[in-house]
Order: sequence, then C-alpha cells, then structure tokens
Amino acid sequence: MFERIAKGVLLAEAFAVATFAFGWWTVPVIAAVYALVSQNPNRARVAALCAVGGWGTLLLLDALKGPVGSMASRLGGVMGLPAAVLLILTLVFPALLAWSAAKLVPTLRGSVRPAS
Amino acid sequence: MRKATPAVLLAILLYAGFRSIGPLPPLGPLLDPANGVWASAAAVNFPARQRAVIPGVHDSVLVLIDDRGVPHIFASSENDAWRALGYVVARDRLFQMEAQTRAAAGRLTEWAGDRALETDRESRALGLAWGAERKAAAYDRSAPAWQALQAYADGVNAWISQMRPRDLPLEYRLLKSLPIKWEPIHSFYFLSRMSLTLGLNDATTRRLRAQALVGKAAADALFPVNSPIQEPIQPNGLGSARFDFGALPPPGAPDTQALAALDVRKHMLVALEPSNGGEPSDAVGSNNWAVAPSRSSTRNALLAGDPHLDLTLPSVWYEMHIVVPGKIDAAGVGFPGMPGVVIGFNRNIAWTFTNTGSDVNDFYEEKVDEMNHPSRYMLDGTWRNLEKRVETYRRPNGSVIATDTLYFTHRGPMRRILGKWLSMRWTAYEPSHEPDNFMALSHARSVNEWLYAMRDYIAPTQNGLVADQSGNIAIRSSGAYPIRPGDGRGDVIRDGSTAASDWKGFLPVDRFPFGMNPPQGYLASANQQPVDPRQNPAYMGSSWYSPWRAMRINALLRADASVTPDKMRLYQTDPGSARADLFVPLFLRAAAHADSIGNGSAKLSEASKILAAWDRRYVRENRQAVLFEAAMRDLATRTWDELSDSTARSRDGLSLLPEPQITFELTNTPTSTWWDDKRTPAVEDRDAILAASLVAGYDTVVARNGEPSADTWMWSNRRKANIRHLLRIPALGALGVSVQGGPGTLNPSSGEGTQGASWRMVVELGPEIRAWSIYPGGQSGAPASARYTDRLSRWALGELDQVLFPKTPDDLPRRRIISTLVVRSQ
Repeated sequence: MFERIAKGVLLAEAFAVATFAFGWWTVPVIAAVYALVSQNPNRARVAALCAVGGWGTLLLLDALKGPVGSMASRLGGVMGLPAAVLLILTLVFPALLAWSAAKLVPTLRGSVRPAS
Repeated sequence: MRKATPAVLLAILLYAGFRSIGPLPPLGPLLDPANGVWASAAAVNFPARQRAVIPGVHDSVLVLIDDRGVPHIFASSENDAWRALGYVVARDRLFQMEAQTRAAAGRLTEWAGDRALETDRESRALGLAWGAERKAAAYDRSAPAWQALQAYADGVNAWISQMRPRDLPLEYRLLKSLPIKWEPIHSFYFLSRMSLTLGLNDATTRRLRAQALVGKAAADALFPVNSPIQEPIQPNGLGSARFDFGALPPPGAPDTQALAALDVRKHMLVALEPSNGGEPSDAVGSNNWAVAPSRSSTRNALLAGDPHLDLTLPSVWYEMHIVVPGKIDAAGVGFPGMPGVVIGFNRNIAWTFTNTGSDVNDFYEEKVDEMNHPSRYMLDGTWRNLEKRVETYRRPNGSVIATDTLYFTHRGPMRRILGKWLSMRWTAYEPSHEPDNFMALSHARSVNEWLYAMRDYIAPTQNGLVADQSGNIAIRSSGAYPIRPGDGRGDVIRDGSTAASDWKGFLPVDRFPFGMNPPQGYLASANQQPVDPRQNPAYMGSSWYSPWRAMRINALLRADASVTPDKMRLYQTDPGSARADLFVPLFLRAAAHADSIGNGSAKLSEASKILAAWDRRYVRENRQAVLFEAAMRDLATRTWDELSDSTARSRDGLSLLPEPQITFELTNTPTSTWWDDKRTPAVEDRDAILAASLVAGYDTVVARNGEPSADTWMWSNRRKANIRHLLRIPALGALGVSVQGGPGTLNPSSGEGTQGASWRMVVELGPEIRAWSIYPGGQSGAPASARYTDRLSRWALGELDQVLFPKTPDDLPRRRIISTLVVRSQ
C-alpha cells in the first residue's frame, strides 16, 4: 500500500513539475506515458487523481504566496461564474485530460497490436 | 461508442486548452496553476528582496516600496531613476500604459476587433496620433526630457523582457494578447489623449443650437462669453462674487444660418461632446487652493489640490518618490507611461493643476482642388499640397478591417462634413515640449522658478497653483492662447483660403491670468473663468464652468483666518453648495407666494416643508437633496422650454440647456417672457414656474423613490461613485461607492458617478514638508492584488494618508517597507 501511495505521489509530482516546466499540455503527455508503463487496470482513474493532486499542489502553493481567492472572485465575476466553480474547474480540467489520455493509450495500443 | 469517448473528450479538452471559444481565452494557459491566473495571483505580492537588470543603468538604484505601494527611488543619476521608475510602473500598470497608448493612437481594433473601429477612426481623424508623431519627431533629442523618456522606455522594456508567464496581467490573458515594446512616442500618444480629455471642448455648439431656435441676441445671452457670476481665479480685489446680471433678451426668430453652421460643427465634433462627457458643468470639475502664511494656523503656506477626471481602475495616477542627491527629491503623482512628477512637491515647493478649459481650437473651411479625392488646397491664391496619411485598421489576427485616407493642411486634419472640407487647428498640435515643462517642475526651488519652468508650456491650458517654503503662493493659467484675427472670437468657422484667417500668434505670458501673494491671503481655482473681463477682456473661451465651487471655496477661505492642514482636507469634500444656497430660498419664496394667492396645494406644502428642513449640505444622510435636484432639473426644462426640442439633444441624449447661473440671472426679471411655459395656455411668471417645478420634482421623487420617509430618499442611495475598469468589466471595477457631495459642491458628483477626485493632496510648506494624499484605487493594476483598491474606502470618506517623504533610504522606517528592489545593469 505504501508503495502504491509513493507511486501516486511521484506521479502527482511529475504532473506538477512538468506543468511548471513546460505548461499545461504536459498533463495528457504524462498521463499517456504513465498509461504505457503501468499495469494498473485503473490507470486512467489513478492518472486523473494524480493530475488533480499535482495541480492541486501547485494551486495550494499559489494560495500560500498570493491572493488566489481574490483572483478567483474577480475572474469569476468576469466569466459569470462563482469563484469556487473556477477553482473546481481548475482541478477537473487536468483530471479529465489525464483520464482521457490514459484511457486512450491502451485502446490505441490494442488497435496497433499485431494479430496473433 | 465507449471506445471513442476518451478520444472525443481529449480532443475537446485540447481544443479548449489551445484555442479560445467565443470570448473565453484558451483554458489551458488560463487555468495552468504554474503559469496562468493563479500563478499571477501569487506574483502580485512582491518578495521582500528583489534584484532586477535594466540595460543602461550606470550605477545601482535602490527602490524601496512602502506599505502604501509607493516606490521610493534612490539613484545617482536622473536617467537611472527614470529607468527604475519605468520598470516598477510597468510591473504595476503595464496593461494600463498600453491601453491608453492604443486609445490615443487609434489601435484598439487590434485588441477588440471591429467593434472598436469607430472609436479608432475618430482618434485618428482628430489627428491625435499625427500630432503626437509630429511632436516626437521634432523633439530635441538632447533635451533632458527626451533622454528621460528613452530611459523610462528602457525600464519598461526591461520589465517586459524579464516577465515570466505568471507576470502577464489578467487583462492581456482575457484579450489573448501580449504587451508591445515601449517607445518614447507612446508617451506622446498619452499626452495627446490628455489634451483631448482636457483641452478640446466646444461650448459653441450649444450656443449655435440656441441661436438656430431663438436667434442670436438671445443665444449670446444664454451662452455668454463671460460668466455672469464673477469669482475669477485672478483676484479682482472685490472680496465676494460679483453678479453681472442684466435683463435677458427675449426669444427671437430662429436663425437658419446658425442651423447650417450647427450641422457642420456637430459633425466635425461628433466625438467631442463637452469634455465632461455631456454632464452639466456643476457635476464635474477640479479644485485647488493655496493659503498664505498669514491665514495659516501654522504660519506656513498650505496647498491643496484635487484634480477631477474619469474615475478608473487602475487610477489615472501613479504615486512615486524620486531622489537623486543634489538634483531631484520630489514626490507626488505622475502618469503611467511618462517619467516625472506631474502634481506633487519637493523639499521647497508644492504644486498642482486644474483645467482652464479655454478655447484653443478653430475650424476653417478649405477650398480644395477635387471634392472627392483632394490633393491640394488653396491658400492666398496658391495651391498647396495636402499631406496625406493612409490609416489601416487591423483585427487582433492582423487582418485588415478598413483603411482611411486622412488629409492635413498646414493647420491640421481636414474632414469632409456635409459637402464642405473643414480643417481644424488645435494647440495640442503645436510644437511644444510638455515633457520638459513637467520634468522641470520637480527641480524648481521657489514659486518664481516654478513659474519660469511653465512659461512656455503649450497644452492643455492649466491653472497651475504653486506655493513655497518662503510663504509665496501663486497661480497662473498657463498655455497657448491663440490670438485670432478680427474680433478675436474662436466660435466661428473661418475662411481657410486666406492666411488672414490664421492665428496671429499667442498671448504673451505676462497677459495670462495670474495672481501672486494677493492681499486676501489665498488663491483658488475651480475651473471658473480665470480672469475678470473688466481686468482683461482678451478672449480665452466662453461658457466657463459654473462658479458654484469657486464661490464656495472662496467663501470658506475668506471666513477662515487660521486654516489648518486638516481644514484643507475637509474643504476638499465640503458638502456645502452655493447653488443650493441661492436656489432653495427662491423655491421656498415661490411656494409661500403661491399659498398667499390661493394657488397652493398639499403637495407644494409638503415639498416646501421638506426643502425648508434642509441645511443645504449634500451629506450622505440627508433626505432633501434628492428633491432639490429633481426640482432643479424640472426648472431647467420648464424655464427653457423654447430650447427643449428634439434637436436640442447631444449625442448622449442629454439636454443642452443654459447653465443654472443663467437661470438664476433670469430670476431677477420675474415677468420675463422666458418664464412663460409655451406648452400651457396660462402665462406663467417666475414664481409660478418655481412652484410648479417644486411640485413636479416632488412627484418625480415620490414616483421613483416612494414616500419621503423611505431610505431611498437618502442621498447616499442616490449618488455614488462608479469607478470603472479600463475594459469596462464590472467585476474588475468598484461600483456603487457612496460619497459625500453633489452638483456644485467642492466634491461634485454626476448622475453616472464616473467622474470625481482622481487625486487629493494637501501639503504644508514648513521647514519640513508635510504632505497627505489619496486617490480612489491602489498602486497595483492587478485586480487580485491587495493594493488594487486599498485606498478606496478612505478616499470615499474624504480621508488622506500621510505621505512618507524620506531624504535617505535609512529615513524610511523599516516596518513601512514591504519590498526592496535593487536595479543594476547586469
């Protein structure tokens, strides 16, 4: 169990570091790579959770450094959304990206596997 | 199907991530917590210690940001100081700087697309960009101000080049845009824009409209060149306002020639409704006053200034303190986009401005060689080539929306209006060096040096007030005042085919409205006519701002022989009104008269009772001002019914009627035919109209607000300040801010609440300079920052912050420093 947790933390870190270094688009890339190497039948769900963990960590760091709540209120006002919805969207977005990429990889792998 | 779901979902998410959908920016970069809006929220708080690199810095610069967000810049050379200033202003206000540049240059379509086309077309057709580029091209490159503008640009560009993705302001994300490189020309674009805001108004349109309806004699009386209530800026020694009242000529026959001239002028100036946005002049306006030691409680000169402009977030002003030992040690506010303290103080003097609002533009009918595609224009029998300029308007993606060909004579831009080609000459186009003028102010050490620095200032004309530690106070309405041929009036369209129509020159500085150390012991300006025409009849403009604020501040200062700095602060939001003082007794007398002759009514009695209970102060809690204002509005339309036709509407739908001071002048002739409301069979007189207006005002307020006991009658519910974000996004503005003051008070408020005191400052010129100030907003232009609106609530209450004015870095208390920035060249 600890091993699973540790792997999850590592994956979440990977999402965070890749996003920090290269940008948001690395989320589906990391998820796809994970899906390629992982044997976990729930790899898509795990990828989604870890993406939320990674972005959530970055969001928490932002909040510790500056007025994320204030930004959420202002931006929410601009977009006509409650601040909380924007913050939730910020976590749902990478989750769905990761899930869909991780789900897609085995499907593609299955479709290119040579017929036995 | 289930197998396709992940692929479809991923495709949708990637699309939304990379591409904008409708008005939404791409979600990926927006929500990215490392580089998007959340990270930019983290970046709004400055670290305790920072370093920055600005190429060209000769020696390191120390910038201490205090807890008010004000940068105290300590440099060893002025240009290094401007580099550092450019850097910190860009860090705080980059979007604002570019927005105002684009507005002036007519390049908003590159952000907003087709919907900004008409605005951009007007800007360019007015010659804002053309005039700015001419000035910049002619500017002496060795002048200190040019060097400063370049150094400032270096600082701005250093910030832009060092920006991380998280530093990109929110507005750029929403517009899906990136900042442009800053150049000195952008500062000139900004100055053009300020000239438009402050120095291009045309009260003549109202007069011509009136002339078309009621004839010239009546129109000249209703929109006179000289204010009938004289309380001028240049003291005339009278000790009180003078009422130059006479009998107003009755309405005459319509003047069809005026109608034709009006149509032409109206089209020429379609973008130039009165510079106050069409508001009555008692709803807007700036103030300043200075008190000599003889009237000051501390025996030091005192100075106060509150320029009123459009209220925006971020504020039009940026507060700063610049120290270069032996050269400059000045604090105050400047414009984001330009180096220098525009309003402020140094170790010897303090200064501030109000707008003069003089007539500094004229129109000429040009004779061209070909009406549809002219290439030449006639001047004194000789064809001269027109300057042509092709303007291209682009969308954000670079595609072309439209192109215009603009034409320019030696006077200025030329436009085709109703079959005529008209050119405009405007002092804002004149060769000038306003940047050098403003920068020189910080170096002045006395009133005389300050006045010398402003001696050749051109535009927009400003009532500059200055005081020094020696106890001198002075005011001068500085700028270029054209000397026109003939009768010298500026409210006609002249024949452009002859050079004899051109300006003959400009008034010499010794003929400017001026006052220094007057016996009365104070000086004050509130946009009123600057000089008593009996002292100086030179034409400088017409239809000046209402005299109410001037009357009020003069009355307050005359009555106070021992003014304190705090009194100066309180006067800036004084709720008293000379306008109400004059009109309320008239309404009450009319009501009493109606009762006495049996024409009273229950409503009139009730309205009269409410009005009589009012102390004529526009404090938030009062419940009478709302009735008074409704009665005044009705009084204007009822009295001037001869002018209230469908054509008497400005572009904004506001009725362009004579100022209330003209209505007050009319009250001296109770049976004038003007009082008769032509829409009724009865022949009304003054008191009948006043009483009817009071009842109508009562009905209006009850219908809108309910019974008088309702909270909706409270003034704080009726008049609010609405401080709009530059992009007019409500969520980024501060709307509905309750403020004290009303029409004609020293803190005037308009119906829309979008104009007000953009800056308030009080300075005591003692052995040690003490200053207090505030503006409605904060130093940061980042909406998420705590410094975006941190000053707003205190501003609304009329409070001022004490300004920190350290001579050295060590003089700034450590606990007041929130961030230290060290700037080097590498």
